[in-house]
Amino acid sequence: MKTQKLITLIAVAFITVVSFGQTIVGSAHDFKAASWNASGEICKTCHTPHNAVTGISAPLWNHQVTTQTFTLYTTAVSPTFNGTTAQPDGSSKLCLSCHDGVTKVDNFNGVTTGTTSITGAANIGTDLSNDHPVSFLYDAALATADGGLFNPAVALSGKGSTITADLLLANKMQCSSCHDVHNGSGVNNLLVKTNAASALCLTCHNK
Amino acid sequence: MKNITTLISIILVSFPTLVNSQSIVTTKHNLSVSGLGAIKATTENEICIFCHTPHNSTPKAPLWNRNVNGGTYTLYNSSTLNALPGQPDGSSILCLSCHDGTIALGDVVSRATPITMSSLKITGKSNLTTDLSNDHPISFAYNAALAASDGQLKTPPLSVVSLDKNSKMQCTSCHDPHKETNPKFLVASTQFSALCLQCHNKTYWGSSTHKTSTKTWNNAGTSPWAHVTAPYANVTQNACANCHDPHNANGKARLLKYLPEENNCLDCHNGNVATSTKNIQAQFAKTYKHNVAGYTGTHDPIEANAVTTKHVECADCHNPHASNATTAVAPFVNGTSIGVKGINQAGNAVAVATNAYEICYKCHAGNSWAPAPALPRQIVQNNVRLEFATTNPSYHPVVGARNDAEITPNLVSPNTASTIMYCTACHASNNSADPKGPHGSTNQYLLKLNYSTAYTGTTGITESATAYALCYSCHNRTNIIGGSNTFREHNKHIVGERAPCSICHDPHGVSSTQGSLSRNGRLINFRTDKVTPDSGGRLYWQDDGARRGRCYLTCHGKNHSPLTY
Repeated sequence: MKTQKLITLIAVAFITVVSFGQTIVGSAHDFKAASWNASGEICKTCHTPHNAVTGISAPLWNHQVTTQTFTLYTTAVSPTFNGTTAQPDGSSKLCLSCHDGVTKVDNFNGVTTGTTSITGAANIGTDLSNDHPVSFLYDAALATADGGLFNPAVALSGKGSTITADLLLANKMQCSSCHDVHNGSGVNNLLVKTNAASALCLTCHNK
Repeated sequence: MKNITTLISIILVSFPTLVNSQSIVTTKHNLSVSGLGAIKATTENEICIFCHTPHNSTPKAPLWNRNVNGGTYTLYNSSTLNALPGQPDGSSILCLSCHDGTIALGDVVSRATPITMSSLKITGKSNLTTDLSNDHPISFAYNAALAASDGQLKTPPLSVVSLDKNSKMQCTSCHDPHKETNPKFLVASTQFSALCLQCHNKTYWGSSTHKTSTKTWNNAGTSPWAHVTAPYANVTQNACANCHDPHNANGKARLLKYLPEENNCLDCHNGNVATSTKNIQAQFAKTYKHNVAGYTGTHDPIEANAVTTKHVECADCHNPHASNATTAVAPFVNGTSIGVKGINQAGNAVAVATNAYEICYKCHAGNSWAPAPALPRQIVQNNVRLEFATTNPSYHPVVGARNDAEITPNLVSPNTASTIMYCTACHASNNSADPKGPHGSTNQYLLKLNYSTAYTGTTGITESATAYALCYSCHNRTNIIGGSNTFREHNKHIVGERAPCSICHDPHGVSSTQGSLSRNGRLINFRTDKVTPDSGGRLYWQDDGARRGRCYLTCHGKNHSPLTY
């Protein structure tokens, strides 16, 4: 009987983590009250149901896409980095369409004459060499080469399945590997899971 | 029940980071509130943040989250250092952003307000300070050229110890900050100094007693391993750490654990670790000694073989990386002094002494600082090397045998005409049970037996077996006193006139450049404080062969001009 209780407790603990329901509303990405978002719509700053930006694989994209060339975090920066980075692609390029500090945040919904730039810690800039690398292949081979990473195809993410399944996009680490732009987990800094006890870092890093 | 256990096991296994003993989580480097060390955050629960940040890192790699000191560090140096350490760079400067003790542990770049810690800064031995002169050198290129110039380093590539992208040794060569597979985050065990020996390849070490001894400390006095956090039980296990300390070493140069050089030796050689026959400290309590405690910081391993500045340290006569228990016969060096440099009989420096006397010659062969001879003599010679030359008219057989048939009948067994003796046959401890060698003695001139030389006024010395015990240990007293097979007037002078041996004989020898066989054979070199010229102004002995001769001198109030026998 006691054992049943224990199993229930463990199960509840899992469900609580996995289904931590939160929304973008009220989060750092809720711009309904922003001075540069006259319509007050939340989704519109990034998405549109019609006439989305073409030429980029993105979900009904409604924001100007960055044209910057970024300085990358490479083996030249860190000799112990075993991955291979290229110019940001996938979802990371979408994030940097505001967070590069150059592309105006109010250049959305067809507007190209915006004047508002992102500020503060959220301004990643075009120099990504002091930021965690993104847009690189993270697979079993990289884990083996590095020696301090879990095998993403096997190691669990804490979000229900493996790192590859839950956190990577096409086997690549992207901004979205750590950040949920829609605040699905309700964790500070829009993290995909809590970083208490560095749990997010230690999801991939086997230190 | 079994199934439930299995279930729980599976759940636990699915969280490898939480139970893996090699994880940073369970080390002192987990500075978060969940950390195991005494120093940790009061509430902060993130672990990586104390060193790393995902954004706006400085320096960029490895996503560093701390400011560096920016000041100048005092670097390690020693006269025997071939490496060229620069100001800390690479990963080392990152480690020092906590371990130099200047930056608050919680002062991370990514937080506007420093994280509150149980201790503001690092404490204890982990605080290396900005003075790195007492720490193992870092941030130097370790390549084949260095290994070649040093001569006692292994040539890269190395297996366990890693060098950085510039082939530099850094803190991370020995320490893995994320894993504590071995204590102190070391990448290899310190037992038998396995870690040190990844790089250091000390000549002779393989056969040294300091490598192989299983002696333990008897818990008396100060532990020889007091500088080690968790020492092993015996000498062989502690190995390099018996004498060296890689961080905050008191001795700085060569990372010796103590600065007064001899203290590194004497905390084992005081009866507390080494056997009683190796209790050297007790010898140094005696009046006459090689006074190692009288000098600090003068000895230098690269000093000239012929010592120019007066001093004596254990390392002048012993190579602690080499010493062992092998025995040799005179004149060859035995195990206790293997691998020590010297001056050979020709007066040339030798990197490794073959003959024991070559070690003595480093100081006792005419060095400018050497004190004057103890007794005033007709022929003055302060260079022991010249006194023992086998081309001399007479000499004690230290360098080579005398093969003198005239002397042989008077020698005490087992000495023969072909005997060669060590300097230590005469110069040694006064107690035969003591450690061998000239460490200390209650007898003047650091002699192992009594050798009376005092002759004040006209009193002289009452002859006895004890009075000249040193001489009589090889030279048959009965024969000498009885006058058989020897100078027939020995009895008259030694017993009757109460003259010590040293009045007529100069024990080391007389140099061929100063004396002649006919006048200075038989170690004849008169003491000028007692022996003066005869009425004709002559002062010498003449050998007429077959134990016959004549003396031209004045002594004990009698004019010999000459007296013939």
